[in-house]
Amino acid sequence: MSATASISGARHVRSLLSGALGLLFLAGTAWRERAAADEAGNHWAFQPVRPVALPASASADAANRNPIDRFLLEDLARHDLALSPTASREQLIRRASFGLTGLPPTPDEVDAFVRDPAPDAWERLIDRLLASPHYGERWARHWLDLARYAESDGFEHDALRPHAWRYRDYVVASFNEDKPYDRFLQEQIAGDELWPDQPAALVATGFNLLGPDMVDSADQVQRRLNTLNDMTDTTAAVALGLTFGCARCHDHKSEPFTQRDYYSLQAFFGPAEFHRELPIPTAEEKSRHETALAEYNAATLPQQREIEEIEAPLRQRLREEKLARLSEDAQLAHRTPREKRTREQEGTVQETAPQVEVSAAEVTRALSKAETLRREVLLEELKQTPRPPALPAAMALRNPPHAAADMFVLFRGDYTQPREQVQPGFPQVLRAGVPAPEFPQAAADGGRRTALARWLTARNNPLTARVMVNRLWQHHFGTGLVATPNDFGVQGARPTHPELLDWLAAQLIRNDWHLKPLHRLIMNSAIYRQAATASREALDRDPDNALLSRRTPRRLEAEAIRDTLLAVTGEWDAHRYGPGVRDSGSARRSVYLTVKRSQLIPVLQAFDAPEPLVSQGTRPTTTVAPQALFLMNSPEARRWAAALAGLVAPLPDGSPDAGLTEAYWRALTRPPSEQELADGREFLAAQQARHSASGNADPRRAAWTDFTQVLLSLNEFIYAD
Amino acid sequence: MQTETSLASRRDWLRRAGSGAGLLGLAGLLQDQGLLGRTLAAAADPMAPRPSPFPARAKSVIWLFMNGGPSQVDTWDYKPELIRRDGQPLEGFDNKTGFFTESVGPLMKSPFAWAQHGESGTWVSDLFPHLARHVDRMAFLHSCHTESNNHSPALFMINTGSTRMGFPCVGSWITYGLGSESRNLPAFVVMSDPLDRGLPKGNASNWGAGFLPSVYQGTWLRPKGEPMDNLRPPPGLDPAAQRAQLDLLASLNRRHQNQAPAGGEELGARIESFELAYRMQAAAPETFAVDREPEFIQQLYGLDQPQCRHFAAQCLMARRMVERGVRFVQIYSGGMENQRSWDGHEDLVGNHRGFALETDQPIAGLLADLEQRGMLDETLVIWGGEFGRLPVSQKGGKPGRDHNPHAFTYWMAGGGVRGGFHHGATDDLGHKAVQQKVSVNDLHATILHLLGIDHEQLTYFHSGRHFRLTDVAGDVVKSIIA
Repeated sequence: MSATASISGARHVRSLLSGALGLLFLAGTAWRERAAADEAGNHWAFQPVRPVALPASASADAANRNPIDRFLLEDLARHDLALSPTASREQLIRRASFGLTGLPPTPDEVDAFVRDPAPDAWERLIDRLLASPHYGERWARHWLDLARYAESDGFEHDALRPHAWRYRDYVVASFNEDKPYDRFLQEQIAGDELWPDQPAALVATGFNLLGPDMVDSADQVQRRLNTLNDMTDTTAAVALGLTFGCARCHDHKSEPFTQRDYYSLQAFFGPAEFHRELPIPTAEEKSRHETALAEYNAATLPQQREIEEIEAPLRQRLREEKLARLSEDAQLAHRTPREKRTREQEGTVQETAPQVEVSAAEVTRALSKAETLRREVLLEELKQTPRPPALPAAMALRNPPHAAADMFVLFRGDYTQPREQVQPGFPQVLRAGVPAPEFPQAAADGGRRTALARWLTARNNPLTARVMVNRLWQHHFGTGLVATPNDFGVQGARPTHPELLDWLAAQLIRNDWHLKPLHRLIMNSAIYRQAATASREALDRDPDNALLSRRTPRRLEAEAIRDTLLAVTGEWDAHRYGPGVRDSGSARRSVYLTVKRSQLIPVLQAFDAPEPLVSQGTRPTTTVAPQALFLMNSPEARRWAAALAGLVAPLPDGSPDAGLTEAYWRALTRPPSEQELADGREFLAAQQARHSASGNADPRRAAWTDFTQVLLSLNEFIYAD
Repeated sequence: MQTETSLASRRDWLRRAGSGAGLLGLAGLLQDQGLLGRTLAAAADPMAPRPSPFPARAKSVIWLFMNGGPSQVDTWDYKPELIRRDGQPLEGFDNKTGFFTESVGPLMKSPFAWAQHGESGTWVSDLFPHLARHVDRMAFLHSCHTESNNHSPALFMINTGSTRMGFPCVGSWITYGLGSESRNLPAFVVMSDPLDRGLPKGNASNWGAGFLPSVYQGTWLRPKGEPMDNLRPPPGLDPAAQRAQLDLLASLNRRHQNQAPAGGEELGARIESFELAYRMQAAAPETFAVDREPEFIQQLYGLDQPQCRHFAAQCLMARRMVERGVRFVQIYSGGMENQRSWDGHEDLVGNHRGFALETDQPIAGLLADLEQRGMLDETLVIWGGEFGRLPVSQKGGKPGRDHNPHAFTYWMAGGGVRGGFHHGATDDLGHKAVQQKVSVNDLHATILHLLGIDHEQLTYFHSGRHFRLTDVAGDVVKSIIA
């Protein structure tokens, strides 16, 4: 629904233009292709990151102390513009708290920071926020958008994935411990190969399996191919900022990627098995479990053995019956031992496996009456001994013991039309100066994803560091230096400040890929700390704020809005980590709510949380009526308002000013102005009279709830700075 | 991949756009539209009504979605040869066409009685006694075919042009292209089965905006209880009290806006969104209140008939919405698969008879009502499901028919289509479309055309390329245009 409103900011111009002027677009196809051909060879993003010298400092003024400022001030000066004034301390702590933790500061924190006389008060604030466990929750959410994270399969059944939340916890923990970004990527691409004994590294590989999956597809070969395509596309978008998926069916129309490039990249993933429930015990958990299981088995051996004696022949018979219904070729394929099957036979087996599977229910139905009775007795006896709990499990990749199937270019992406065979390989246009992949080509295919992970995180990979520092910039300023964070290709936006981008990329690598030093660097700049006020000149010469001549106010993201509502109304349950919470009325932070693809949380959807189908590099910011209706009328909004009213409403004989002041502090972390106090008093009195007239049992409390609901709906509340 | 709605710098985009011969006038056009410079956000209302690029025959669409796949050979596609060969095996039939490969029976004649109707002499089975009176308003596409024999991919195909999940649906594309005529109601509304039979398979993906901005997704009306979330003020807050809240909110927000010039437009849009929400609170329930219609109108739709009351209410609501400027309405007849929808695997007679009874009079009433109000010319009414059904039976105690992606019938009425006209044909048994075949892309191209949009030019840049509803295909079925 919608009807009103605006999509915010210049970064959405393209979509709006295409909305208003969609008709003009296709006329441009030819020029785009020409442009692609001309530009692809020397496209900026495919060139190595250049060593950049810091621009000479024009003056020694205070604004000039951070290296980032030097790049930007130079540009501003060229346009005869200067920085806007520094924001107030009250504004700065809100900006930093929302930016790093997705939560507002408490009134006490604001007070302490505003009064802190130390010259390094700001630096210490940043350090404190970076050390907060809520930093990981906030920045994990940004990453989860990229990873199309959800906890269900999608499609018509959309079954929950009971282990998917471990990936979310892995991401939260990785940000909190400031895991180097190269390691973070390596774990997600090849954690199982590189650190097979570390549960976190196995959980990380779940990244590749987070997309929608039609589990019950009649065509299981196609299903596996869909998953392979999804992980290839996602890896390219997330790590490299490339729109690679277009090359699946044909050479990319506008980027210098061929279909061969596509399937060569996909071949790195070719051997992997996709596990939906891979046990990931630590060595200790494993040995404890084995002991417990051995004890259990010893205690229940007679029963287990007898049940198996009853069931095994039936299962065998049922399977034979099902096999007999398949074609002769399929029967032969199933009867051929796995290691002797041809590629076609393996495909046939995978495709027809569900048709020969014998379910427990089928076995039960096939039992004779006597067998049924006997088995019931045995099962009852089994229940006397408690089974050891299952080991922790995760969605993960792992390589099979046998050799990988050959990989081919697929004509139009169709697996029934394989063309030339491909080996794992990197896109041609990115190979300059990059060593060829190192892994044993032949029998053991265990190192393919390791080679990919190493290449992605090689210091001379032209894209990885640039793409990641751009994401940091994007989340601190609203728009990246490259405005299309998942598209650094020829079709993507050009960097507004290419030298700064390269300098930041080099800094990331110099800091051993740690992200926290980059946050410090960015947040310590004068650019970051500007106020949102703009001079007339700045508005004229830098209308879209591409030069960053001021702060652009931004609306909080959906999760931050909900979390802030929980936090300021005292409702918040700060418990961290663990399985997803299905109850959207829960007071847990939004990152812990279960993401079920067919039942996304309405309040988060209303405020533009994306559908987790493909990697999302940016979110739109829409302003539509359902958001207002949510804040005006939803039971949650009213409940939160009532909770805040309960915290601030003074005793009946007290002055409303104390309550109003407390409400402003809690909701907006600032005191109300005289005018605001007067407005508040007037509103409370009138509203109380209205509620009295309509027979409300507690008109005073109702009036306070009406007031706090207004505070929670203010622009100032969700436009954080 | 991801949605890149963003733009590095406007200048950069214009530089690239400007290098294309077809786009030379763009900068001037932007200026005209106020899209350059500071008025950007104000001009950026994604729902502002936009004139269609070509003269439009239809302004709104009501799509009556017969969920589950009604049988063409039992509704609108009369096949005497199927009657003659009843009970014979269909030589060369691929058992994998349908879903139940082991239950393939022989050819089965339509169990319904057929007669010709209207000046066009259109054959209609006795499932639709009411609709049979309107055949001279309908243009039939008998040669539709699709790409999947499975419900959810076929639903995605007919709704989005792709069998895969996550692409923008027809209604989203149209609202993206044309905006909304209503400022107080959602632009694109979806209604589903109110009798607890579930949603179409794939749920909300069938009315999702995919990679288009989320404002273009369909608004699903809850089939029972309050149709939309949060439309009523909370208990204990009367209209005057809520108005006072909104007045305080607006005044505080305006003061804040004046202090923050850099974000002015966006903040202003948010102030306006609360006013719109307030108006919607009044407008939406009023629109949904079909009981305010005079009794003879309610009876025309069949609101007094227990077997079709629910669908009648939805059809009447659709008319009230279109009347108030809603662009696109889709109503699903039936819920999930099998007997809960038109998915007549077993007991075809009982299944189709039941769903026909639920929908026949309401749809006929809708056509008559639109006509008498002079709205039919500008409203495109579409009838059809996600695929057709096989001419062979699906074996069972009471035989049914299995899925058939190779042939199904759609009809359209109003909105500039040629009444009493038949396009395309299936083979003698109604098994496969053979003449003047209409793909789903063709169907979509035709719908867009009737709304004044060239399907090749309505595009959205995403994931490195320009996407269309019709991908790289689609021909307008020109013959059905009046």
